[in-house]
Amino acid sequence: MKWSLPALAALLLFYPFILTGPFYWDIGVAFLLAAISASAWNIVGGYAGQVSVGHSMFFGVGAYTPLLFYHLWGLPPVAGVPAGMLVSLVLAVAIGMPTFRLQGHYFSMATIAVAELIRIFVGTWDLVGAAIGLQGPAVGRAWWDLTFRSELPYYYIFLAVLAVVLYTTFEVERSRFGYYLRAIKAGERAARSLGVPVRATKLKALMLSAVFTSVAGSLYSIKTGFIDPESGFGILVSVQMVIVAALGGAGTLFGPLIGALLLVPLQTATNTWFGGGGSGLTYILYGGIIVLLARYEPGGMHEWWQRVAPRLMRRSHAA
Amino acid sequence: MRTASATIAAALAAAAILMSCPPVDAAGTVKIGILWPLTGNAAAAGQASKAAAEVAADIVNNKHPELADLPLAATEGLPNQGGAKLELIFVDHQGNPSQAQQLATRLITQDAVHVLLGAYQSSCSFTATAVAERHGIPFMVGESAALNITGRGFKWVFRSTPIASDYAATYMRFFDDLKKEGKKIASIAVVNENTDYGTSVADSIEAAAKNNNIPVAIRIPYSASSTDVSAQVLQLKEKQPDVIIFISYTSDSILYMKTMKNLDYMPPMVIGDDTGFSDPSFIPAVADIAQGAMNRSAWDIGKPGSTTYKINEMYKAKTGRDLDDTSGRNMQGFLVLADALNRAGSTEPEKIRDALAKTDLKPEQLMMGYNGVKFDATGQNTLASTYLIQLKDKQYQLVWPEKAAATKLDWPMKGWKQ
Amino acid sequence: MLLAQVIVGGLLLGAIYALFSSGLTLIWGMMNFINFAHGEFVMLGMYVALLVVVWLGGGPATFGFAAAFALFVLGVIVYASLIRHVMRGPMLAQILSTFGLALLLRYTAFWIFSANFVSLPQVSLSGTLNVGGILMPVPQLVAGVAAIALTLGLHLLLTRTTVGSQLLAVAEDRNAAMLMGIRPDRMQALAWGLAAGSAGIAGALMAVSYPWSPSVGETFGLTAFVVVTLGGFGSVPGAMYAGLIIGLIQALSAYWLGPIYKDIVVYALFAALLWLRPQGLMGKA
Repeated sequence: MKWSLPALAALLLFYPFILTGPFYWDIGVAFLLAAISASAWNIVGGYAGQVSVGHSMFFGVGAYTPLLFYHLWGLPPVAGVPAGMLVSLVLAVAIGMPTFRLQGHYFSMATIAVAELIRIFVGTWDLVGAAIGLQGPAVGRAWWDLTFRSELPYYYIFLAVLAVVLYTTFEVERSRFGYYLRAIKAGERAARSLGVPVRATKLKALMLSAVFTSVAGSLYSIKTGFIDPESGFGILVSVQMVIVAALGGAGTLFGPLIGALLLVPLQTATNTWFGGGGSGLTYILYGGIIVLLARYEPGGMHEWWQRVAPRLMRRSHAA
Repeated sequence: MRTASATIAAALAAAAILMSCPPVDAAGTVKIGILWPLTGNAAAAGQASKAAAEVAADIVNNKHPELADLPLAATEGLPNQGGAKLELIFVDHQGNPSQAQQLATRLITQDAVHVLLGAYQSSCSFTATAVAERHGIPFMVGESAALNITGRGFKWVFRSTPIASDYAATYMRFFDDLKKEGKKIASIAVVNENTDYGTSVADSIEAAAKNNNIPVAIRIPYSASSTDVSAQVLQLKEKQPDVIIFISYTSDSILYMKTMKNLDYMPPMVIGDDTGFSDPSFIPAVADIAQGAMNRSAWDIGKPGSTTYKINEMYKAKTGRDLDDTSGRNMQGFLVLADALNRAGSTEPEKIRDALAKTDLKPEQLMMGYNGVKFDATGQNTLASTYLIQLKDKQYQLVWPEKAAATKLDWPMKGWKQ
Repeated sequence: MLLAQVIVGGLLLGAIYALFSSGLTLIWGMMNFINFAHGEFVMLGMYVALLVVVWLGGGPATFGFAAAFALFVLGVIVYASLIRHVMRGPMLAQILSTFGLALLLRYTAFWIFSANFVSLPQVSLSGTLNVGGILMPVPQLVAGVAAIALTLGLHLLLTRTTVGSQLLAVAEDRNAAMLMGIRPDRMQALAWGLAAGSAGIAGALMAVSYPWSPSVGETFGLTAFVVVTLGGFGSVPGAMYAGLIIGLIQALSAYWLGPIYKDIVVYALFAALLWLRPQGLMGKA
């Protein structure tokens, strides 16, 4: 099926013309954002097996800096994106170095605690809007403010970023660095005994992941035009990244994409069906899905398909 | 690569199925899209407001001659639009501003609503109103405190409710009246929960106090989900302010009252900035220890037989509880929208917008205690105002301004003492 | 004088932290497993207390036992149906399992009980004691004392009874315990039951004094993590001291720095601990 990848690319490229209108475009944008964040997380959480549940710290940094640049200096928000990436990088190093000494669950907890710490702190810091948050330009002064009336430009900008993230992941997968990551995931002690520079590798993975997550955050705040501690640093932001990647298959190239493809429409659908009724079934559904996933198919849809596909193929060939 | 693409194809199919929910369309109606938090932390407020909106829709859509004061109550539907009925489309943004943005877009483009109402949390109002502005659809903010929701130069956003600075001004006027009567207001304390609501109002109060030469002895921002507030109460006990203004949600309001009793601390007066103090569970929980606590409300149930009393009965029949101030303000926002829709005589956005801008409702035509409804150039209702009420026995009674007061103000508050 | 008041208040709350954290540390010590849904167990305990009071009209002892029992059962069920299977799986699955469980429990509670904050109708415990100028509300006092007693009780259960030594044996060396004829599976189920049960009764004790809604589980969960890290994983006495210390630090920070900073101080302490002394006060490294 050599045509599958170009077909996928074509589908993504032409989606806005297949399903037209602001509503479907907005879903497309939400899908791309989820795919970008989850793919970014995937580098350190999926490939290296370091399950961070505090990635919102990088997302939030990336989300705040553009609006901060606008709020403080009147600059177009996009000017703040590199700053966000830099701060995230520094944060990754500061967090990574001490935290990677911890094992498994400990590490996850540490990431949650640090993310919460940052969220509460930002909520008290007047310079960055404290609890009220920051707003972007309501009506753009020029094209570089990126306040488009239509979702279409956002869609293609996000698509371009997703392509970059996926391509980087692809290169990582094939490289020695990727080999180190997989070795670490399989067993740190064994990896170390094989000569894998464990500390340095983990740190590099976190740094790369942090930078991409930061970009995802920037895209979010530029598009939404608003950020506050909860939407930037909240725990649901971190959890969503993990769920999306895990649902599709953490540690695989297209896992996050698949997860986003399933989860984003599901979110929209449950909001439509149940939202007005106000019963909060959406999150009950999430919880249920995650538990079932953990219990029966931790490898996500990717692994499920790996198991099921050969049987389907065999049947079709036999017939 | 193969299996990944195949999985993607399968996922796409699933996604397509999930997304193909056709919207329901009833002809000959005027559609109002309503964005509220129906699940999540603010769900209680969202649900209460939803019930209130449904009561309001009933009032407009059906004949209610007993509520003749209210515009559109006596008739069925919108007379200037051939009796067209109002159709409500509720969406749940769950308190998430990005969700609010997406839902506002959906309401406008998919459900083709003619106007929008919402959105409770200021963060959600920011994003949802921006969508409305971009698409040129009128948006009525019935209740969201942050100042610059109407300060961004938007044409399509209107707000019927008072804002943080209005509340601060009300409190200052109240203090002035008290001082004229010889009561001591040497200093006040402000205790606020630290999200956008509490912070905006507290900021406004501090600024107004400064302008009025009333020192703020201490300002205590705290997290609404605190389990224990003893330390804060002790800080207050130390500072001995004459009035404490609480800008709190429900559980923290109750917690503060109980903790103050436990630590034997009662200031001369406590004023709650609505929200927590107005929640239906507040009075049952603390009535016996917080007698005389004050609250602000633009809603007063009034005497039996009055329009407001009848509205409350309708709401009570539906939900089993009395109408609260927040839901009342949202309901008023809804009615203002309906009135404008009627005067517009058409569903064209520009005509509706113009009708809204020309709104001029007199106090007698309102259910809330505003001085009227008239929007300035930014879309803010300049005649929005609020009463101050006081807890006596198991009910709040109107005590200020004096000309509207049902009973005299008890000063200092009794608390748990007899 | 006011300072003494702050200290007493902090310790009383800290005692309850100690109780619900002791369960978490037990599981952690035994299975190297963190239960991200632990806070939700506390929250459910509070609701059980509410239901008992509303339906059966019981007093504190009744709803305390009810909460403990109901949550004990839930803990065992969770272990048997979920935890047992993911324990042998990848790290991601382990973390996701209790995370998903937390979401499931929290939002099911939202669905059933709504987001309204609730509190127990006035129960038999009320009033305030005045001891040398320090005011101690009776409900908090009783809750605090009960919490310490129960934590000590758990510790004694672990160290002085046969069942307890079996639990500790599995914690120390699973295989050796199996060789001795102990069924690790059963012991682990028991541990989960005890952990959930102690969380439940802690919730019931808190319900006496504080209002709550389904959202409080998140905060309690994080608090429990901090306490367990400070106390050292696996150590119930450690959890007891740590709970008291955290309660104290919280109260003092709130008083001196302001309530917002109390959470920051606690999490900063947590982060510092994870980096500098992960084994806490009394845990094994």
